[in-house]
Amino acid sequence: MVASVETEMPALAPPKRRFVPTGFKPTLPALILVLVFFVLPVAILLTRSVTEPVLGLQNYATLLGSATYLKIFVNTFTVSALVTLFSVMIGFPVAWALAIMPRPSANIVFAIVLLSMWTNLLARTYAWMVLLQRTGVVNKTLMGLGLIDQPLMLVNNLVGVTIGMVYIMLPFTIIPLYGAIRRIDPMILQAAALCGANRRQAFTGVLLPLAMPGIASGALMVFVMSLGYFVTPALLGGTANMMLAELIAQFVQSLVNWGMGGAAALVLLVVTLSLYALQLRLFGTAGERS
Amino acid sequence: MKIKTATTKTAILSLALMLGLAGASHAADMVFTSWGGTTQDVQKSAWADKFSQKSGINVLQDGPTDYGKIKAMVEAKGVTWDVVDVEGDYAIQAGDKGMLEKLDFQVIDKASLDPRFVTDYSVGSFYYSFVIGCNKDAVSACPKSWADLFDTAKFPGKRTFYKWSAPGVIEAALLADGVAADKLYPLDLDRAFKKLDTIKPDIIWWSGGAQSQQLLASAETPFGSFWNGRLTALAATGVNVETSWAQNITAADALVVPMGAKNKDAAMKFIAYATSPEGQAEMAAGTGYAPTNVKSPALMDPAVAKTLPDQQTASQINADMAYWAKHRDEIGERWYAWQSK
Repeated sequence: MVASVETEMPALAPPKRRFVPTGFKPTLPALILVLVFFVLPVAILLTRSVTEPVLGLQNYATLLGSATYLKIFVNTFTVSALVTLFSVMIGFPVAWALAIMPRPSANIVFAIVLLSMWTNLLARTYAWMVLLQRTGVVNKTLMGLGLIDQPLMLVNNLVGVTIGMVYIMLPFTIIPLYGAIRRIDPMILQAAALCGANRRQAFTGVLLPLAMPGIASGALMVFVMSLGYFVTPALLGGTANMMLAELIAQFVQSLVNWGMGGAAALVLLVVTLSLYALQLRLFGTAGERS
Repeated sequence: MKIKTATTKTAILSLALMLGLAGASHAADMVFTSWGGTTQDVQKSAWADKFSQKSGINVLQDGPTDYGKIKAMVEAKGVTWDVVDVEGDYAIQAGDKGMLEKLDFQVIDKASLDPRFVTDYSVGSFYYSFVIGCNKDAVSACPKSWADLFDTAKFPGKRTFYKWSAPGVIEAALLADGVAADKLYPLDLDRAFKKLDTIKPDIIWWSGGAQSQQLLASAETPFGSFWNGRLTALAATGVNVETSWAQNITAADALVVPMGAKNKDAAMKFIAYATSPEGQAEMAAGTGYAPTNVKSPALMDPAVAKTLPDQQTASQINADMAYWAKHRDEIGERWYAWQSK
């Protein structure tokens, strides 16, 4: 960790300073914008959670006291954790390959990763539905090869949501991981080898700890995004895997019960912020700097 | 001096432009909001385009319908939707809660409108039936009744039902369980969920019309409960679909005007055209849903008219929108709790 920081230390003299921003006055317009258009609306929705239909904490009592909603919380965290785990496990080797590949091939792989990210989300999700269903390409191929007799249940359940979401989240782990790995000086790995570390030791003792900030920031981003995900779970999951964002959408759009919607949103927000705080405590920054 | 003139000129010009644009967009525009997809395409061509030709009022399309947005607009007194296509039970509930404008029946002629779908705040937009659809190429025998569709011994395999809490599935479960059609309401929810429990592992839910067609065409679910119009459309693409109208369950969409809509007069005129015999006939021909104007079938190609829900009244069941409006929230809560179990 120390080594990588040192390689980043700027050796140049600080540039001549002409304009020194003092205080927060110059940022006031931006701050006001954020306050009025982001903080205020959220605050109003959250206030509704304790004022609708009547003043009190009854929405939270209902939300936290019911087995149904509890199960939805558990679903949300299970899915997000699984998606994060697989995204990192698949994203790490890809990022590593990207980092050591010659530039031209790396650019092609990068283009593929980004292209998938820029394709319409709904189209990608429907594509997975068609691929994974019982009469879909994956099952037909496996059955044609004689590997299975009965179609596997790959969609409308936890498996479907996980596959669909990992696919969507992969770029969000690959990109920060690539950045982190690129910053690792290859000489350090050579030094590890010279000092007698075998491949496994070099990986677990040197590479992994150095890449950890990248892993952490990618994982946090994926986990937090997954917590609030809506379209993919609704289409690829069964009703037994309902996630919190779907529940909030139900409350807000269809049942027009903003009290409960606000309460569920606040719970989600608290969890997300706690995780962010944890990340700051453990890694010092949002993970951008290693 | 020169600069100053230029600046003043620009300022005046842009002000004039802004006023001009605002004026132009205000004088002759209104916004119609619906659910998107093929249904709104037809609403645009059958209603909006024709109405604009006749009246000179531009109709802008927006969507999808979102009850949360309606509430937000009405509360903030910034209503940008003038006419909205909503579910029938929501229309009744929202009307009672003061979210909707009363319709002007001086402008809208309700004499020939199907009275089942008319309230002070809403008129029927179109009505549809939940019917039993089956992909004949995928199975040797098709379920003919709700009881068949709930019989996993006679008809093994996955079946599909509408995912959201709305009239249709609970009624089907009770009918399948032997409840008489005239004893459906008040709904016995315990009994309905008990019946639904018996097929729960075999249900794949569809959340939108396109998905229901995909499930049936690919035989992922060889049968299930569908909006009748989606089956008509699927059959037209060459899929070997069978539709059973036995105990088809009707529900209607409604046209409403949110409270405080800015172009109320235009909205009333638009609704008048949309529910006219011609407007409803063209909408029905384009979607496979039934017209809510009783004079429309006479204007339609008889071959098309006879495929619509209004001709399938032999064993038809009308979902009770007033009951649903009253119990919408409570049923919704139980529905999602049951689903996620």
